[in-house]
Amino acid sequence: MNNLSTYLIISALLFSLGLQGILLRRNLIGMLISVELLLNAANLNFMAFNRFLNADPVAGQVIALFVMGLAAAEAAIGLSIILALFRTMHSINIERAQKLRG
Amino acid sequence: MGAFLGDPILLATVLGTNLPFISMAAVLLFTAPNPALSSKISVAAIAAGAVCSIFLLAVLHGGSPVVYRTLWFNSGNLDISFGYYLDSLSLLMLAIVGVIACLVQIYSLGYMAGDPGYSRYFAFQSLFAWAMMNMVVAGSLIQLFIFWEMVGLASYFLIGFYYEKWSASQAGKKAFVMNRVGDVGFFLGLIWLLIGFGSLGIPELNHAADANALPQGLLTVSALLIFCGVVGKSAQFPLLTWLPDAMEGPTPVSALLHSATMVAAGVYMFGRIFPFFAASPDAMAVALAIGTVTMLLSSTMAMVTYDLKQVWAYSTVSQLGMMVMALAAGGYFAGVFHLTTHAGFKALLFLCSGIFIHQFHTNDMRIIGKQGGRRLVIPMACIAVGALALSGVFPFSGFFSKEAVLAVLAAQPSRIWLAAGLLGAVMTAYYSFRLIFHILLPRGGIEEKRHDAHAHRYHEHEGERRGYIFWAMAIPVIVLAGVTLALGFFEHPIEHFLVNSNTVQPALHPAHGTGAQVDGGGAPLTIMGISAGLFGILLAWFEYGRKGADRKGFLSYFPAIWKLFDSRWFLDAFYRRSLDLFVYGGLTNLFTRNDRRVIDGGIDGICFFTESGGRLFSFLQSGMLQYNLLLMVLAVGGAVLYLLM
Repeated sequence: MNNLSTYLIISALLFSLGLQGILLRRNLIGMLISVELLLNAANLNFMAFNRFLNADPVAGQVIALFVMGLAAAEAAIGLSIILALFRTMHSINIERAQKLRG
Repeated sequence: MGAFLGDPILLATVLGTNLPFISMAAVLLFTAPNPALSSKISVAAIAAGAVCSIFLLAVLHGGSPVVYRTLWFNSGNLDISFGYYLDSLSLLMLAIVGVIACLVQIYSLGYMAGDPGYSRYFAFQSLFAWAMMNMVVAGSLIQLFIFWEMVGLASYFLIGFYYEKWSASQAGKKAFVMNRVGDVGFFLGLIWLLIGFGSLGIPELNHAADANALPQGLLTVSALLIFCGVVGKSAQFPLLTWLPDAMEGPTPVSALLHSATMVAAGVYMFGRIFPFFAASPDAMAVALAIGTVTMLLSSTMAMVTYDLKQVWAYSTVSQLGMMVMALAAGGYFAGVFHLTTHAGFKALLFLCSGIFIHQFHTNDMRIIGKQGGRRLVIPMACIAVGALALSGVFPFSGFFSKEAVLAVLAAQPSRIWLAAGLLGAVMTAYYSFRLIFHILLPRGGIEEKRHDAHAHRYHEHEGERRGYIFWAMAIPVIVLAGVTLALGFFEHPIEHFLVNSNTVQPALHPAHGTGAQVDGGGAPLTIMGISAGLFGILLAWFEYGRKGADRKGFLSYFPAIWKLFDSRWFLDAFYRRSLDLFVYGGLTNLFTRNDRRVIDGGIDGICFFTESGGRLFSFLQSGMLQYNLLLMVLAVGGAVLYLLM
């Protein structure tokens, strides 16, 4: 149970879930949550590689912390964009936001 | 600098020729708002120039030519020098230009009084004098060409001086463009000569031509090309119509332009490198033919016009034709002497006409006669002196120079040139006295004008000022009339000065032979010359002067010929037509098409291509964020797979 591939498989599953969510969901908030899943999958990979391959335990954790901070900022900006979109469109359905269609 | 100050000749040359430029700069930059000061600066500068030129003539009289030269630049084995060449011809011409430009500027003080462009006028006059004086003393042909162009530029400014007037700006443009046509030939000739001979120094060129050191082919081609410049500048046959139009400028400008500067430049250049031209018999034959055609054509034009200035303008063209004939027939002295005397009496004629025009506000000789032109005694007497000189009547200066020209023509193997010269003399006398009789003996006496009383009152109010204006105009006229009377008697000193002290005078040339003929063997010729002039005057008297004359002229019995002469042999119409056909119809059309089709079309094509390319791929922009994301994921996945494989 305590080997690297287990973590990698869980991480890959998590990533696939996030990808599926971001591609299929039409709700913008749902897409934002899926992005969080993608980031967490990446975080899991960092921690696993750091634990099993690297002698220095600090670097991976620091990067994971950075990614969390980044995710928080991204969520704040994403939510405010969604809010602005909602104000103009009265909807957060991605299918409504098609003004740039060529 | 020490050498510069220590050499009075160099100092006088530099100062005399360049003071007018300084005055122009000062007037244009600083004193333009103050017309009185501007005119004073300008007149002072040109007067200093005239004094310097007379000083040079006096000091260097009879000596050998003086050459100053510094290297301007060199390129490869080509040295272009810049300097002064003071020999008898340039000294004489410098004095003529200086004195006449000075007199004309003094005259302008009166003529242009109250004109809104007073300062500008004097600035351009100074520019004109500066360019011409520098052209005269130029030591190399390239330097001569530069100032030649400056002369053209200045005359463009002055012809188009009343630029608000459509005809004036057109006339300036016409003069400029026609001169360019000739100058292209001139410049090509210079390049051809530079390639073949390797130097453009005037003394070197004349020495080489004297020594027969130039191959005949090079000589003929370059001489003919350089002669194109003379044709343009001196208004010879194919390019003669700009000069009659050039009288759109103020009258003093015409006086200067027709006598000492501008048109004289072409003939002067011919005389300047005379040995070079003389070494090519073919070029001389062409020049002789062109001079003859010019003289006859423009004399006929002068016989039908009623415009005072236009008569003198045509007569200038015909006298220039005569100078070119004389030079081309080998008469170096005759041509240059005729240039000298002509400068004097033609300036006189124009300045007198200017007084009439200033007084009566019309150019029509019939109206001037009716309104009492002959009451202006001084200009009337002076214009008669000028006309007598122009007709070649003893003892006026024109008599002597015309005799010299006719003697040269008589020495030609073919009699046709002499016959043409005599015919020209008859026509010249006829049209000059047609004008004189129109003003002097108006048909039905002088009309008393109703507004005379008004004019009288005006006169009383501004009597003093009008007196100043009148005398500013009258004094130069009187001086010129005196010169015209006296100059002829200096024929032999001038001939001695020009021919003997000029070391580059060709020994092999017939000019020497004709010099003897002028002195002695020309008695029958003199009689022929005088009788030609008198016959013309008598004809004019019979038709215009005597009591009960019908004042129509014999040409009015041939309306077709009258029309031909009056419309300048349709030369202008021909130019207009060919301009429309070749320039506007051909070249301009091609350029327009190039602009529309190639340049505009090319840019439009690039835009069209970009736009349609964008439209072609715009289906990728579905507007659905997630399709784009899917595509991105697939592309990254594909890349990862490719890298892993």
